[in-house]
Amino acid sequence: MFVVTLFQSVLKMAKIGLLIQRFAQQELRNSNAIFSLGLYLAGITYLVYMLGGQNASDSVWNMLLWVVVFFGAISQASRSFEFESGDYFYYYQTVAGPKATIIAKLIYNSLYQLILSVASWALFSWFYGNTVYNPGIFALGLALGCIGFSAILTLANGIAERSGGNVTLSSILSIPLTLPVLKIVSAINIQAMVGAPLEEVYELVGSLFALDIAIGLLAYLLFPYLWQD
Amino acid sequence: MTGRIYKGLGVALVLYSLVYGLLTTVPDLPIIEESIRNLFYHVSMWFAMVGMMAGSFSNAVGYLRDENLNKDGRSESLAETGMLFAFLGLFTGMMWAKFTWGAWWTNDPKLNGSAITILIYLAYFVLRNGIEEPRKKARISAVYNIFAFVMMIVFIGILPRMTDSLHPGNGGNPGFNSYDLDNHLRMIFYPAVIGWVLVGTWIASLRYRIKNLSQ
Repeated sequence: MFVVTLFQSVLKMAKIGLLIQRFAQQELRNSNAIFSLGLYLAGITYLVYMLGGQNASDSVWNMLLWVVVFFGAISQASRSFEFESGDYFYYYQTVAGPKATIIAKLIYNSLYQLILSVASWALFSWFYGNTVYNPGIFALGLALGCIGFSAILTLANGIAERSGGNVTLSSILSIPLTLPVLKIVSAINIQAMVGAPLEEVYELVGSLFALDIAIGLLAYLLFPYLWQD
Repeated sequence: MTGRIYKGLGVALVLYSLVYGLLTTVPDLPIIEESIRNLFYHVSMWFAMVGMMAGSFSNAVGYLRDENLNKDGRSESLAETGMLFAFLGLFTGMMWAKFTWGAWWTNDPKLNGSAITILIYLAYFVLRNGIEEPRKKARISAVYNIFAFVMMIVFIGILPRMTDSLHPGNGGNPGFNSYDLDNHLRMIFYPAVIGWVLVGTWIASLRYRIKNLSQ
């Protein structure tokens, strides 16, 4: 009995891996999308630089970085279900089922947004100089923030997609929902920049971690209701 | 019969808190002074709002379980009534803030939380208006409702405790909870909360019935 369940879970894992691979291939084939996201990041960073960002204080630097990452994440996630709508919806429904699809989507979107946010951090450091005192904590904050963002944005975009694929609706739904994560993550990053005592930072990191788990679990439980006809 | 009991009780408790809240003597605290009476009128609005949203949430969970469209209707009416309480809470809070802090709006975690809550639930109504088919509308908005309620609890219940707030009882401000465990205030505050929750349930059930009739 135990062997059978183990075998099933391995199969499921393999399926999720395949799905992630397929999402990545689709994205790479559609090189225009990646190029436009990269151009958005470079363009907006330079725009901020021109408008006087080079004199930014720590808190302003952090705020600007999060505005850039936040809108990058929103535009990335708004295409979440681009390939799963229409006839493809039934294809994924039969081949993978909603649970495997949502897990694969969550992992894929988190990784994608992590790459985006590290790229913006690199761009910001290049233009304004890197003033982060504790890069490890800063990176941890970015990673946890991206996991939270991806869970909220994926579910919100799924809702918008199922209700008729309205682009404005997905931002109306997701922007207020992401604010708790954004608030905690920017607090973590500002503390990483100024080098606050680690006990204080770990408290925030712990609460963000708990919030991420709660959001991810909720997205996993609710998605099957969304993904049916 | 049970309907009459809860409605009568709700009206009685609300009237008691409205009248007795003005007549009673209150502890003499610096800065807030007589405006401490707003505890009965402003704070009870937020408690009633959370009560309405919790009812809306539990109806949304119920809908996903058994696909009963009546629960979807109740969920929507309760969320609408919750919005009414949210705006009343915002309004009474702004009046109080102007005379106590000197500004209509401040960058306080509790104020941010309530603003975000209002945005989240306005988005819920926008979402509902965008879908035509009743069952699809019910299912998708129930999913959003559940997610929204959890995020609202995080934003108004957990985040303000992590940072300082200007509100009485937080961060070195004179307040009702930390300084004086004044049972006298509680004798009016708790009945006010229960009364407003009961009256809110009544309003929501009326809205629900009107909507059913007009269909």
